[in-house]
Formats: sequence, C-alpha cells, structure tokens
Amino acid sequence: MDFRHLIAAALCACAAAASAATIVVDVRDPQGAPLADAVVYAAPEGREVGAASKSAVMDQKNKTFIPRVLPVQVGTSVKFPNSDDIQHQVYSFSPAKTFQLPLYKGTPANPIVFNAAGVVTLGCNIHDTMNGYIVVLDTPYFEKTEASGRVEVRLQPGKYSVRVWHPDMKQEPPPQMVTVGEGERPEIAFSVTAAPKALTTAPLNKLEEKFKKYGNGRP
Amino acid sequence: MDGRSFQAKLVYLLIGVLVLLQTVTLAAIHFAGLRSLHRNLVEELRVGSRVFEQQLAHRGRQLSESLGVLAGDFGFRTAVASGDRPTVVDVLSNHGRRIKASAAFLVGLDGIVTADTLKITRMGKPFPFPALIRQAEEAGEASSIVSLDGRPYQLVIVPILAPRAIAWVCMGFEIDEGVLRDFQRVTALDLSLSTVGADGRPQILFSTLHSNLHGDLVRHVAARRDNPSGVEATLKLAGAPYETKIEPLRTADGSRVVALLQRSLEDARRSSRALELQIVVFSTFALVLAILATMYFARGVIRPLQRLAENAQKIELGDYSTAVDVAQDDEIGRLATAFNRMRTGIAEREEKIIHQATHDGLTGLPNRTLFLDRLEHAIAAARRSGESVGMIMMDLDRFKEINDTLGHHFGDQLLNEIGRRLTLSLRESDTVARLGGDEFGVNFNAQQPSQAMEVARRISSSLEAPFVLGAVSVDVDASMGIAIYPLHADDAGALMKRADIAMYDAKKNHTAIALYEAGRDEHSLRRLSLLSELRQAVQRDELELYYQPNINIHTGRAAYAEALVRWNHPAHGLMLPDEFIPLAEQSGSIGALTKWVLRNAIYECAEWAARGAPLIVAVNLSPLDLFDSELPTYISGLLAEAAMPASWLVLEITETAIMRDPAYALKILRDLKSRGIRLSIDDFGTGYSSLAHLKRLPVDELKIDKSFVMNLTSQSTDDAVIVRSTIELGHNMGLTVIAEGVETVESLEILTRLGCDMAQGYYMSPPLPAGDLQRWMTESRWAVPAKTTLKEGNE
Repeated sequence: MDFRHLIAAALCACAAAASAATIVVDVRDPQGAPLADAVVYAAPEGREVGAASKSAVMDQKNKTFIPRVLPVQVGTSVKFPNSDDIQHQVYSFSPAKTFQLPLYKGTPANPIVFNAAGVVTLGCNIHDTMNGYIVVLDTPYFEKTEASGRVEVRLQPGKYSVRVWHPDMKQEPPPQMVTVGEGERPEIAFSVTAAPKALTTAPLNKLEEKFKKYGNGRP
Repeated sequence: MDGRSFQAKLVYLLIGVLVLLQTVTLAAIHFAGLRSLHRNLVEELRVGSRVFEQQLAHRGRQLSESLGVLAGDFGFRTAVASGDRPTVVDVLSNHGRRIKASAAFLVGLDGIVTADTLKITRMGKPFPFPALIRQAEEAGEASSIVSLDGRPYQLVIVPILAPRAIAWVCMGFEIDEGVLRDFQRVTALDLSLSTVGADGRPQILFSTLHSNLHGDLVRHVAARRDNPSGVEATLKLAGAPYETKIEPLRTADGSRVVALLQRSLEDARRSSRALELQIVVFSTFALVLAILATMYFARGVIRPLQRLAENAQKIELGDYSTAVDVAQDDEIGRLATAFNRMRTGIAEREEKIIHQATHDGLTGLPNRTLFLDRLEHAIAAARRSGESVGMIMMDLDRFKEINDTLGHHFGDQLLNEIGRRLTLSLRESDTVARLGGDEFGVNFNAQQPSQAMEVARRISSSLEAPFVLGAVSVDVDASMGIAIYPLHADDAGALMKRADIAMYDAKKNHTAIALYEAGRDEHSLRRLSLLSELRQAVQRDELELYYQPNINIHTGRAAYAEALVRWNHPAHGLMLPDEFIPLAEQSGSIGALTKWVLRNAIYECAEWAARGAPLIVAVNLSPLDLFDSELPTYISGLLAEAAMPASWLVLEITETAIMRDPAYALKILRDLKSRGIRLSIDDFGTGYSSLAHLKRLPVDELKIDKSFVMNLTSQSTDDAVIVRSTIELGHNMGLTVIAEGVETVESLEILTRLGCDMAQGYYMSPPLPAGDLQRWMTESRWAVPAKTTLKEGNE
C-alpha cells in the first residue's frame, strides 16, 4: 500500500473548495461479482489535504467488529465500545497504529486517535475470528461499497488518483488517474482479486465450531 | 537286497513314486508358498507404505495443530510483530521447544526468511520450500517431508494471524529413530529414507537397517534414480534378498526424498521354512513307513515265491520229494497248491515214463536199457571192490515156431511165465531182463566161471518143467551164453556182446549153456570183414568147389559127389562153408553164391561124364534160395546149357529151410521136381519137421545128420535107434536114405546092416578138389567102372 499517495490525496481534498463533482466507482471481483466493504478513495493530485479531527466508532457486537471496515481520515479518533456481555481484548500490531486495549466491557474512557495513514488491522486476543479494519486515509474523499459494490464519491473538480482497498484483496489494484470537471460523473471500475482466505481469516478451531453449532446461548 | 529281485523292484518303484510325489508336492508347496509369500510381502509393503504416509500425515496434522496453537499465542504474536530479530529468534526457539520442534523459521509474507534457529546464513534469503507456503496459503497449514542439511525433517508451516497473516512460522521435526521405530513396530518392515545429496549421489538419511547394508542400499537407489516411483523389487543387500518398495515422498521443495520399505525375505520365509521342514519330516516318516510296509508286503509275496522257485529248481533236478508249504488263502496259496499237485503229477508221470522206458511192457522185467545200466553199475562197483560180475544171455530155442503155431498171445504168455520163473530161480540182487523178442539177460555176482555155470544150470532147471498155459503144455529149451567181468570183458557193452557170442555157440553146438571162449569175439569180428570181402570173392576167383563122394552101399560104387564150396581167403586161408555161408545169407549174396556153385558143379558134372567117369552132382541150397522163384528156371537153363540131364543133379535142402515158409518152399520144390531134378533133405533129424509135413514134400532122399551117424559106434544106443528109425521111416516113405559122417568101417557096416542106401564120410573120402576126385574115381575101391552110362544115373 502506498501510504504516501494516500496522504497526498487527503491533503488535496482538504485544500479543495466547495464546488461539486462525483466519481462513480464499481468494484467487482474477477468473476464480476460486486464486492462489499471495499474502500474507494481519491487523492487529489498536486494539493495537500490536512488532517481532520473527526470521531468514529468501531463497535463490537456478537464477537464481531462493526463495521468490519471503517475508513477514516487521518486524525480521526475512534471509540471502541464493547456491546457484548463478554470481555474483549482489542489489539493492533499494524505499523499505522499499534495499540492494545486490555480486557474490558463497555466503552473505554479514551478513544484512540489514528494520526497516521495506513490500514490498522484489529483483532481480539480472545476471539481470533474477530477481524476488523480501520483504514486511515490522507484524503477526505472516500466511500465504502455496500452489497452493490457501487459507490459515488463526491469531491471537488480536479485531478485525482483513485484507489481501492478491500480486506480480502490479494493485491491492491493499480490506482486510476481521473480528472473530474464540475458536475461530471466519470465512472471507474476496479477488479479486485481476493487473497487466500487463510491469510485473512483465522480458522475456527474445533472447540469454536462446537460453540457455534450449539449457539453458545446467543446467536 | 538283490537289485533284480521282485522285492527290490517293488521297493525301488514305490520309493521312486513316493519320492517323486513328495518332491512334486513339496515343490508345489514351496513355490506356492513363495508366490504367496511374495504377494503377501508386496501387499505388506504397500500397506506399510500407506501406513507410513498416514503416519506422516497424521503427525503433520498433529504438528500443524500444535503449531497453529503456538502461532495463536498472543505473546508469540506480539514478539513476532515487534520485528526485533533477536527477540523473534528467541521466541521461535522457546516456543519451538514447547512443541519439541528441532528447527523453526519465520518467513515473511514475501517469502524471505526472517529468522532461522538452525542456520543464521539462511536469514534474508528466500525460504527454500516455497511450495510449502503455496500449499499453506490454500489450506491454512501445510506439512511436508524435506531434506534439510542432510537430515529428514517434517516441516509444518502456518501463518501468524494478527489477526490477518503477518508472517509464516515454520517448524521442522526431524524424522528420527523414534518415528521409524514406531513405524517398524506397527508394520514389522524396515524403513529407510534416502535423498539425493549435494554431490548428486543418493544418500541414506536414516534407516532401520544395519549400517553395513547401507552401501548396497545406496547402490540400488542410485540404479533406480531415474525412475524411482513406486518400484517394487527384490533387492540384494549383503547377499540377502529384501523385498523392497521405493516410495518417493511428497516434498515441498521437489527434493527427492524416497522411503524404502523393506522386508527381509529370509525372515519372511522363516515361518514357511518351518512349515516345509514339518512337511519334509512327515513325508520322510511316511516314506519310511511305506517302504517298511512294502517290504513287509513284498516279503509276504516273495517268501512263498522263493520257496516255490527253490522247489521248482529241485524238480528241475529231479527231486519231487518235498512239497511247498504255503499256508496262504490267496493267489499265492492257490499257486502253491497247484504247484504241489503239478509236482506230484510230474513225479507220477515221470516214474511211469521211466518205468516204461526201462521196463518191458509184457513181462514187467527191466528192458535192455535198464539192464545195460545195471550191468554198468555192477561192473563199476565190482571194479572198485575187485569182484566179478557175471551175465547170462538167454535165447529160447524154437520160439518162433511156438509163436507161429500157437499164436502170439500164447507166445506172450509163455514169455511172461519164463520171466517169472527166471526171477524166481534167481536171488533178489540179480537182475533178470527181457532184452527183446525171446532174449533174456541175467546179471549176477559170480566170482568164478563155475559159479556162473551154476546159475545157468539153475535157470535151465527152472525151465525144465513144461509150461502149461491153458490147455496147451509146451517144453521150452533155451541157449545160454555166459560172460564174466573182468575175465571176458572190461565193460558192460563188451560183456553183453560176448555173452551173446557164447549164447550163439551154445545154440550152434546144441549145448544149452556155453561159457565165452577167449578169442571168439575176434572170430566174430572177422566175420564182419569177411562179409564185405565175400562179395568180391567170386570175381577174385577165390572160391573153389570140393567134392565129397557118396557111395551106394548096395552096389559099393560111388553114386554121386556133393559139391562143397571153399573159400581160399587171401589172409585167412581155406575157409569152410560153415564160416561164410551164414555171412552170405546175412549179406544177401547167397543167391549169387548158390548160382556160382550150381554153374560150376553142373559143368564139372558134365566134364566127368565127358571123361567117362560119370557121377551125379549134389548141390546144397540155402534156405533163402527157396524164396527165389527164378531159381528153377535158372537151373533148367544151366542144365540145358551144359547138355546135362536134370536127373544128374541133386539139390540138398535142410529141414529148417523148408520150415521157414513151408508153403512157398513147397511150391519151389515142386517146380524143381517137375523139372526132373532130384531133391534131398539134408541134416535130417536136427530140425523139427513133422512127419506129416515131410510126407507132402516132393523129395527123393533123406540125409541123416552126421551127429547121429558119428556116434553110431559108441555106446549111445539112442543115436542108433534114431538112425535105424530114420532109415525105416525113409524107406517107408519111399525115399532113398543117405548117412553122412561115416568115418569108420564099423559105421559103414552098421549102416549096411540097417539097410541104409548110401553113405558119405571121411571113411570113404573127405571133400576133394575136382582134380583129386578124378583120381579117387579111378583109384579108390568105390570107383565106378568106366562103362557105366551117363543116362541111367547110378541106380
């Protein structure tokens, strides 16, 4: 991942005025199936975008990070509330942000501020299957795809480097350069190849499978 | 055991068949066992190979699970994520120890080794087994056998998830003795792992085989390097065969690690060997048992057969005394019974045949063969003991006559009775045999000729009593010749011959008994040579006629001359007719001799007449001449030829000659008589002609036998009576009576007194050569006056 580009794009976006343009991005796998949870972001060429001081929430419900993928602009502080009645120990070994939240219930007092661009992979030390991603971006122009795999990114007219990131991708597809005029809606398509599942998801061990099977009291 | 015997053959055959059968069975078991063993081994090796794979896979799974747990350890993940190399190496070693790994690697997602507990030099370089990573990317874990630094390892690799994969952790577990021993314990197979070394040559990574077999193993693997896949073969290791399966293991790096699963054939065969040995032991036991049973059985067959064979050999040698004792109720028993019956049958028949061959069927006495045999034995015994053996040859007189007149049946009965009397008159040790016809032989012990004579007299007296057979009573006279060993002969043959000669002497001389005289045999031999010489005597002009004159007692003048043939034998000198006439008769030359005599006598007679001293000539005819029907014609021809009246010829015939075949003789005699020839009966009194018979004969004269006449002057009144009776008989029948053998004047006077018509004898003249007769005719007192005419004869 080219974090420098990402940062550069974010800076550009911040510098842009309030005029409006849209890029329509279509993300599919090589078989043509639409991909959800893909983060599409556009970094403006030739201008810096400053950091934001927004806040976001990465909830944990049913031993799952919700949302699974959380794109944020650099400088965003993220809260990690625990909506389960069991404890979680959230951690990240990602270089963009290494942290550890010791076992807790409820919402920890301090949110964590992500001030470096990059993908932060979240895990729970007691639930290996829990996987969450906070994608820290240098640009304010980003969207996450839904089930349709199609998103519209609103931005100021200008020249952009458009990229896509998906938690299961094997490799980031090459960025696409696009220049958008006022009121224009250029469409961009990305084909994302999935990475081996083994590298992205922890296998259920037998015990967990059993728990899953009998519901463990909860859905 | 004789190889040719039935028993041996049977035993050898059985042994052969059994050994063959057992060998075939054993071979079949052996080869079937080998095949099955081989099949089992191959199957064992296949199973073993699968077991090994399973074992490895299972171990791999276990190890990867363990490794997965390890990789999930938060501390571990924290340490790895820290990126601090020394810390990472430490944590690898530390956690590796927990799951007993012998090597641990950390590999980045880019495939570069970031930490290595074995070799620091590998760090920063690509992971040597990228295929393993690819496999793990698919399955979340992977394991494989690899050769690492020349050692076999089972490598396990899993991703370190934080929670997304951040690196690979790979741990190696050396496949050590424990693993292989476990395998061996389960499968009982030997297992070796081999790989290709740095030098390109195979090398053994590990083996349960003894290290001194590794060299051979390497060579075999090297030989199959190009195509090692799934090879099943029998390899020789240090000379011992090993059934081998070469199984290449799936390795992550494509390095060739092959597992060699092996089973020693020797070991595998050990159990089947024990079975084979058992079979061999049982077979041998069965074989010995079979041989013993066969020998027992064969003996049961052979013992009786041997006894039969021995008995048959005895029978071959003529011993019929022993019976075969085989008390078996089977084929052999029946054979023995039949054999015994055959033996007694043969014995009886042989006895019968021998008896028939050695005995006379009529009298039951020993025959000539047996007699000769006994005589030989007696002589042999006498030769040893220095004793003597006597034998008598006996022949009946007049037997033919008895046979002819009284019939053969009577003759047979007579012979039988004679045999009985002979036997009774002799001791038991003496042998009486019928040698043939009316000839008997007696063999006895006799030291002196006098003793032999005594035996002969005893026989003679036993025959004296008349034989009364049915209504007929006959007297039998016999002639006996005696010969004694060693006095007369050295062997049985010669003894019999000499007894025979003596017997003929007795018969000829009417002495009833004669002892052999030395030299008689030579005489007899001379006869044989004379026989052949006689035939040539006529041609050689060796015969000569002598004439004995005969006077008319009434006139005192010579009446006629009897022609008597002499043989001037070149070696033996002058021979008398008695010596060679019988030979001529036997040899069949008598006819020619008679004709020669007739011709010469008739011509001589004609000569006498021509000289003025006519004399009737008398010629003796042989009995055989009376069978010559041509003779009368021949004589008539001769008389005509010599121009001589038939009445000047007198033919003298003996009584016995006529008796041979009276009817035929009579016919010839009548023929001769009808031709005017005068006939005279010679030797009258010695034969046995009946008077009735005599009466029918067309004869003119009777010549009384000289044996009666010569005793006329002695005191024997019997002979004088006979002579007188004969003269009277002859006169009564109208015959002229002539007396022969007149040697003295007294005899002549007696004959004259008895009225005898004519006389002949030495008193008047001996037989004279023709020339001397001429002189006698003119000079003697009985000379015929010259005026006598020829035509009237001398009557």
